[in-house]
Amino acid sequence: MENKIIIDIKNISKIYQMGEEKVFALRDVSLNICKNEYVAIMGPSGSGKSTLMNILGCLDTPTAGHYMFNENDVSAMDDNDLAEIRNKEIGFVFQTFNLLPRATATKNVELPLVYSGMPSADRLERALKTLENVGLADRAEHKPNELSGGQRQRVAIARALVTTPSIILADEPTGNLDSKTGEEIMKLFNDLWKKGNTIILVTHEEDIALHAGRIIRLRDGLIESDYINHKQVKYD
Amino acid sequence: MTFSEIIENIKLAYDSMRSNKVRSFLASLGVVIGISTVILMGWILSGLQSAMDDTFKIIGVDVIYIDKYDWAGGKKWKETRNRKDITLEQADDFMSLIQTAETAFPTIRDWAGTIKYENNNYKGISILGTTHHHGLTPAGETSQGRYFTPFEEDSKANVVVIGSKVASSIFPNNDALGKDIKIQGHKFMIVGVIKKQGTMMLDFIDNQVFLPLGSFIKVFGKNGRSVSIGVKAGGEEKLDVIREESRGIMRTIRNLHPSEEDDFSINETKAFESQTAQIKLYVWGVGIGMTVLSFIVGIIGIMNIMFVSVTERTKEIGIRKAIGAKSRSILFQVISEATALCIVGALISLFICSAIAYSVATILPKFVPQAEFLKPYLPMELLIIASLVSLFVGVLAGLLPALRAARLDPVEALRFE
Repeated sequence: MENKIIIDIKNISKIYQMGEEKVFALRDVSLNICKNEYVAIMGPSGSGKSTLMNILGCLDTPTAGHYMFNENDVSAMDDNDLAEIRNKEIGFVFQTFNLLPRATATKNVELPLVYSGMPSADRLERALKTLENVGLADRAEHKPNELSGGQRQRVAIARALVTTPSIILADEPTGNLDSKTGEEIMKLFNDLWKKGNTIILVTHEEDIALHAGRIIRLRDGLIESDYINHKQVKYD
Repeated sequence: MTFSEIIENIKLAYDSMRSNKVRSFLASLGVVIGISTVILMGWILSGLQSAMDDTFKIIGVDVIYIDKYDWAGGKKWKETRNRKDITLEQADDFMSLIQTAETAFPTIRDWAGTIKYENNNYKGISILGTTHHHGLTPAGETSQGRYFTPFEEDSKANVVVIGSKVASSIFPNNDALGKDIKIQGHKFMIVGVIKKQGTMMLDFIDNQVFLPLGSFIKVFGKNGRSVSIGVKAGGEEKLDVIREESRGIMRTIRNLHPSEEDDFSINETKAFESQTAQIKLYVWGVGIGMTVLSFIVGIIGIMNIMFVSVTERTKEIGIRKAIGAKSRSILFQVISEATALCIVGALISLFICSAIAYSVATILPKFVPQAEFLKPYLPMELLIIASLVSLFVGVLAGLLPALRAARLDPVEALRFE
């Protein structure tokens, strides 16, 4: 089971047409990610890491190349199927949290389950349990503007976890947090990884990337390096 | 899409309206005006229709009137006025020959008579001479007193049965029975008042008085007056038989050669119905113009507000898509919201229109008696029509903004600030 490949991309390119000019955001990138890996994707802005994250998260499709997700050919899917993959297989955590401002923590966490068609009683039970797992049981009925930054990110993580996805995709999850709160969030990711989750972390901060077991560096749309991180922060 | 998602969308639409109360209200104003127009128009027409139906029931849907003139009027007027009068003798012959009718009665009429009571003259009242058979039909049913008897008829007694409008204008205290009125200088005693029958433009029916036929001739003479014969079939299904039988008898009496056309008309209450149909058509015509216009304004108003709302919530839509909302979920969400606005508009209209219907129908007839046909409530079918229309308008107004929202690219939408 350790070696089961979840993400398998081959020769992926993404080209944007900017007027007359073609811009290569990704050039022929190939990559495998296995179950229960903890991967950090790094790179300066313009390196293509956002594009790669969007493609890995099934928010965007590559111009060329193949993407197999859990043995499904994602590059051949239409918008509806992609939405279903995002709903069931991928948990997103964003830098700006991206919670719905008018909904309570519980309602935010329930949202992915609404789209997967779960009845409301089951939804509520799952959402409350997941909030408890991220340490927010007592904040279930609060709206985002009544929560601190760290608490908001925990709600977002609960929302990502509630469907028990195959991967968690975190885009600069500590970018809007102070370093102490950021550290707490990274500890939470570490716990999730130890429980068997697969985590992909997109960041440009070296000390955040050190939490991952594998670091992939991008530059100018190419993989510059891909190595095992022997200095992983493990909170043992 | 699952049931729980639909419920969720309805809740969302409700929340979104609550958080933008003023905006939602203004957006639905056009729809309020549109639906109100439809409801009020339908309300007037249904009042009109049931008033007509009531009147027709009383004057008898199963009664035909054989007359020199044609009720349809119009072009036929010129050719019918040259017809020979139907004489009393012909009417008598007809009555003795007709077999299948429930009853038949001749009437002879003075259109614009004057009635004198004490020292006042009352003009424009139709004075009819007829037989007691008329009193056996619904048109002769009395609310006070009685119809005149065969004996009074034979003795050419000076008795009269008056219509309800005549009674109320001459005797506002409702004490007509037993009083003497003067017709053409002759004294007549009131023995009965006929039930109120007419409505609106048919209220001339209540502005008539009935004398025994012999008494009428005594006062007015019989020359230059054509007799009209009312024939009651005794059931709508027997009308066809009666019509044909009457026609045959009349042709015989009038000595018509088979090649000649009828020189009389057989009139039915249906003639009135075609006239009211025309009135209704005018009301609809004006109303539909207004309605279409206000619905267009309403649809544009809601569409506009939905475009604003979709743009405002681009990021939210991006989030929803990122965590798995399909395009059709977003489509449905926006359409639900537009529809919710319309339903609120419809509810407001129903409330306003009920209030209008109630107050107008209770107050207006006190000043304008012709308005009494209005009902103080809205008919059920109108409520159903209004709800369906608001659903339709909502879907129509929400469609374009919803398509725009559904087609948003999640990556772009998430980047929106």
